[in-house]
Amino acid sequence: MYHDRSHSGPVSHWLYGIAVGFALFTGFGQMPIYKRYYLTDIPGLGWAADFYTTAGLHYLAVALVLGLLAWRVGLYLRGVRKRWLWGPGTAWGWLLFALLAFSGLMKVLRNLGLYLPPSFIVTIDLVHMGSAMALMFTGLGVIISGRRRKAKDSAL
Amino acid sequence: MKFSPTRRQLLKGGLAAAAGLAASGIPRPRSAGAAVGEPLCTVLDISKCIGCEQCAEACREQWQKTVPDPVKPMPQPFPSRVPIEDWSQKKDVSDRLTPYNWLYLEHLSLTHKGEEVEVNIPRRCMHCLNPPCVDLCPFGASRVEKNGIVRIDPDICLGGAKCRKVCPWHIPQRQSGLGIYLKLMPSYAGNGVMFKCHRCTPLVAQGKLPRCIEVCPQQVQSIGPRDQQVKKAVALAKQKAKADGAGEERWRDYVYGLFENGGTNTIYVSALPFREINRALKADRAQRAKESGIKDPRRAKRAALAGRPLMGPVADTMARVDNLTWALALAPVAGLAAGLSRLAAGKGGRKGGER
Repeated sequence: MYHDRSHSGPVSHWLYGIAVGFALFTGFGQMPIYKRYYLTDIPGLGWAADFYTTAGLHYLAVALVLGLLAWRVGLYLRGVRKRWLWGPGTAWGWLLFALLAFSGLMKVLRNLGLYLPPSFIVTIDLVHMGSAMALMFTGLGVIISGRRRKAKDSAL
Repeated sequence: MKFSPTRRQLLKGGLAAAAGLAASGIPRPRSAGAAVGEPLCTVLDISKCIGCEQCAEACREQWQKTVPDPVKPMPQPFPSRVPIEDWSQKKDVSDRLTPYNWLYLEHLSLTHKGEEVEVNIPRRCMHCLNPPCVDLCPFGASRVEKNGIVRIDPDICLGGAKCRKVCPWHIPQRQSGLGIYLKLMPSYAGNGVMFKCHRCTPLVAQGKLPRCIEVCPQQVQSIGPRDQQVKKAVALAKQKAKADGAGEERWRDYVYGLFENGGTNTIYVSALPFREINRALKADRAQRAKESGIKDPRRAKRAALAGRPLMGPVADTMARVDNLTWALALAPVAGLAAGLSRLAAGKGGRKGGER
């Protein structure tokens, strides 16, 4: 094991931010609210009114998030210990990602044809939406408070 | 028309089933119920339909009363451009789909090979094998039962009408002023409940026939296990094609619902090609738009099409999204591999790894 004292670079940082932002935007866009609230009238956002487009982009954004988190896990398994400025940094963060991943997986399997009991589907949908909202507010809280950056500065 | 099984069907059915699919070219049901009991499929021989509307009347008689009357006054949705859709004072509308009318009859008159032909078509939900209304409903209100029935749970539906938008035939219809949204934020989210044919779910659960099938004096419709019904529809379509002078090999032109949207559990068979029927349907909608009195042509067209589905070709709407499952499956593997890829170099090359 070795300790990489450097912080995660700006590329992964930005990729993660964009992917999570896009996943949240396209995920919440699965509710028919963007057109209702004029968001799709904003020039350049017309595509957000098409649920097939937002669903496809949601899959792609989530794939990128999963890829980045798996990369982190791979580095961890390799023994590299970095200070990450992005991604889950607490048990709460990892719990939210685990809930999102499990509920999302169930939804994907349902879409592929796996029969799941209706009450389970409803529960999964609510868990997915609830954990996404919790993740959004947690992330916003961390960004606004600058907690992660302060932790970095104090560590240095 | 060449049919290739989708990746979704390959994933679902496994290699053996996929080999069978490729050989037959017939879409298989999505529901896992197929593994334990074949979903039910209806075949409608519309050349038998005399347009008596007994099916539609029986449907209304059975199910209209199950759609509650809305609260009055209804909450005004915000923003104001969100329309209130209230059919409670128009329950007798029977020439289109409404929340209170889940089945209607198309009465068409068209010229086929120089002869005037009358065509009557019962229209309702197609009960797709891979229904986008189910896959894309954000609250799980729309669902597929094990027997292949696609239905909307009125206790959960918020009436956002997303199911209507993503349905290739725009079948579900909204009644504002009722449902669970009234207990949440009635002005700001939701707008009622979506309704459509549930193919008489409670009756079918008791082993009874759907009402539209039971009352039909011409036995236009039949219902049964999907495999049997598909065979029946194909044989019938071949007969129709031959009788129409097109040759048996053109049978796909005489069947509708077998391949559309990746396959449905409602298969129409006609004595004349469906592209001619669709042309007549489009002409009818254009005429309705002209007679609607709505000045804006786009709005007039939309109004004419609302609740009156066409019968054009429909690609598998969910295929593109489902195909992206590969990205979801491969991304974590690729990420993990990238993280681990310098395993040897990290340990050997860095000698302790500190820097």
